[in-house]
Amino acid sequence: MKPHLPSVAARTISPRAAARLRVGLLAFTLLAAAAAAQTPPLYSRWINYTPANGFPRGEVYCVAIAGPRVWAGTEHGLALIENGRLRKVFTRADGLAAYAIMSLAVDPNTGDLWIGGLGGLSRYSAGKFINYTVLSSGLANDLVYSVAVRGKYVWAATAAGVSRLNTWTHSWRIFSVVGKPSAPFEEPWAYALAIGPKKAYIGLWGGGVVVYDLRRKTWRPYLDPDGAPEIVLYRNQGLISNMVSSLTHGAESNAFWAGTYFGLSGYDGARWHNYMRQDSGLASNFINGVALQGRRVWAATQRGLSEFDPGARVWVTYRPANWRALDAGKAARPQRGEILITGPGGHPRRLETATSLAHNYILNLAFQGNDIWVATAAGLSHGFAAPARRILYAHPNRVHRHPARAAYARQTRH
Amino acid sequence: MNWKLTLLAGLTAALLAAPMAAQAPGCPSGPSPTRAARMRYADMPSRAFPFGSFIQPYALWFTTPDSLAFDGSGRARPDADWRRLRAINLGFLGPLDPQYSESVYGIAMLHGAELALARANARGGFHGKPFALKIHRDSPLWGASAIELVRMDYRQHVWAMLGSVDGASTHIALRATLKLWVPIVDTATTDPTVTETRIPWLLHDFPDDRQQGYALADYIFNQLHLKHVAILRANNRYGRLGYTVFFNTARRWGKQPVMVLKFEPYATGFTRSLRELQQLGMDGLVLWCNARQAGLIVRQMRALGMRQPVFGPSRLTYPALIQTAGVAANGVVTVAAINPDRRDPKWLAFRRRYRARYHADPDAYAAYAYDGMNLLIAAVRQAGLNRTRIMDALHAYAMRSYAGVSGTAFFDYTLNNIAPVTMARVEHGHFVYWPERRSDWSRRGWPGCTAAAGR
Repeated sequence: MKPHLPSVAARTISPRAAARLRVGLLAFTLLAAAAAAQTPPLYSRWINYTPANGFPRGEVYCVAIAGPRVWAGTEHGLALIENGRLRKVFTRADGLAAYAIMSLAVDPNTGDLWIGGLGGLSRYSAGKFINYTVLSSGLANDLVYSVAVRGKYVWAATAAGVSRLNTWTHSWRIFSVVGKPSAPFEEPWAYALAIGPKKAYIGLWGGGVVVYDLRRKTWRPYLDPDGAPEIVLYRNQGLISNMVSSLTHGAESNAFWAGTYFGLSGYDGARWHNYMRQDSGLASNFINGVALQGRRVWAATQRGLSEFDPGARVWVTYRPANWRALDAGKAARPQRGEILITGPGGHPRRLETATSLAHNYILNLAFQGNDIWVATAAGLSHGFAAPARRILYAHPNRVHRHPARAAYARQTRH
Repeated sequence: MNWKLTLLAGLTAALLAAPMAAQAPGCPSGPSPTRAARMRYADMPSRAFPFGSFIQPYALWFTTPDSLAFDGSGRARPDADWRRLRAINLGFLGPLDPQYSESVYGIAMLHGAELALARANARGGFHGKPFALKIHRDSPLWGASAIELVRMDYRQHVWAMLGSVDGASTHIALRATLKLWVPIVDTATTDPTVTETRIPWLLHDFPDDRQQGYALADYIFNQLHLKHVAILRANNRYGRLGYTVFFNTARRWGKQPVMVLKFEPYATGFTRSLRELQQLGMDGLVLWCNARQAGLIVRQMRALGMRQPVFGPSRLTYPALIQTAGVAANGVVTVAAINPDRRDPKWLAFRRRYRARYHADPDAYAAYAYDGMNLLIAAVRQAGLNRTRIMDALHAYAMRSYAGVSGTAFFDYTLNNIAPVTMARVEHGHFVYWPERRSDWSRRGWPGCTAAAGR
């Protein structure tokens, strides 16, 4: 005799209930998607390009993305990576002006690559290098620390001021302490550039940040208001230090972030927001580079790569777990990765990942879609975000069991 | 009984030692890192701290051991194989072209460095390989010598560099070396900002304008009790940065300088400026320029009947001041980077060797370059051919002293020499030297030492 089973009809829900369930599922999915959009991805998988796989030895100073191509400026030339493979390393023997490549910028209109470095400025176009030096052009100095492209202009931050090339007329203009009209630079040593649609932000070594209004042709300097390098008078006093190493700006607003060797300074157009290792989750006060990704600011420091979400007030730092041994020269390569998540409460939660950045001394970074490329002192690192969406959709009830996301969620609840 | 004898002997020794210390204050012959660690940044005088009367700053820099922490990958790089090298290259950057006014310091600096190198090579070099100096000329044009450090690295593979005199050139080299990781020992610039960048690749061994400014301010305001001091300075980077610490210290002490006037770096006529200052009723004049211009100013000042005392930094402690000003130079008080009248055996031996080789007396730039090159050579020998480890060896001098031919240096956490300076006065056509004695120091002398000697 067959056991009694409830009829199919008894287990079938009514059309009205099914509709409610569908709406509920849709709402849940939408909420989950919204949560995924708000919660930043965590980079938990890294692939490193080092001398072990043919990459140039030494430091990687900068990285730039041009579609599927990734360009990296290194201590020993310009490296091109395409589809995850190192294609070529260009050096002075190939026609480059610089010995070491400090900065890269891709012209979105022409696809040309602009290369600034210790030795001059180069343009890589149609497979050839065209060089610009003090002796052959209007470049102010042969030490080029930053290069940026906006419209028809190419800007170069040099050790003797900022040079601007009009690529249509091939004419140069130098912004420095000498010349007419001179720029209000405390010191002429330009280190960082960020060119927006309306304003040019110039970071000066010892001269703070100077903002040039492109339409009105007016200047506005921002300096350390206490004027004493040995102190920070108030936390949000203004620019934290006049030693500005890097700059990035908001796409639409007047906001900009300045990386210094004394901490991170942000200006939102009205107020300053300063962060130091002592009072935040910033990995180190010694910042080599800054970048913006939406509202989140990234700081390339000598003790790791820090990301700050000003809305959630959460810091995330990536570095090799054995970074102290790497610094001391007691380890040749990173073992595992370390993620530190610090919320407003100030107590970091630590996670470990199987792979890691190539080194904790970070010099710069760039984004390629959801991926991140990081220039370090011992190679180029390609970071992949944790597959947050897949986790959400596949296992909606396990979202917060993903250790990294759970830690992030706990910190944001503070 | 024994303890009574010991106590008596101790008391007698203390009584004898106290006046000696009071008479010869100055530099540390016996450093006391614990006491030095409690000092304000750069041994700043009391009441000279920025905003010190009003507020405690949110953060302080340069006063902790991690001030110059470096976390790069350099220590893991394999050492170079010295067996494959013909020589151990060390770079030199300095003004050497005679038309450049600072070449007088640069040439002396080169001679001092060469002498140190010759001695090191006579003693076996590095594992039998000679040290070789790769000489690069600093240019008066801003930024023109910027590429020199890059060439030293990529073309000559230097292991470290000595230089430069000009503050701007040193800054440019410093910025480049942050990327290239080449240790720099600077023995000549007086620019106080080169050690205030947190770039961990530079050791500075020369009294900077911060130390000189504090010494002059204390002497003028606390010892001579002058009140209305004016400043006349060259309108160049040396003049602009040089006078700033003196000016700020005077202001913080309530002795706001009555006027600051500038003049072109190659000016020769100062009568108009001096007449302007004459009308102010100043009771002292501080000059921040080179020795020849100071000589012209003093001569023209006395010709106008102005009898106010004149003061200046170490660049005035040069024969050119006396040669240009003549008898008018008498009474001028300056800071001196060294005391050449010292009877210190190290200094005397160095002077003898220098005279034998260059047929001239060594000056402060030669002495500091000699010491700086010796520091570098010792660091290379200790660390091997790895630049980061060479710099680590130099970092070991933080809050420690180094006894060289220029005197006893004491390096703070920024690797800046903050040992007390020497003062000098022109008397009968010659400089007469005495050790700095700041009014806020105790009877034992400089806070960074347990006993005192002279720079």
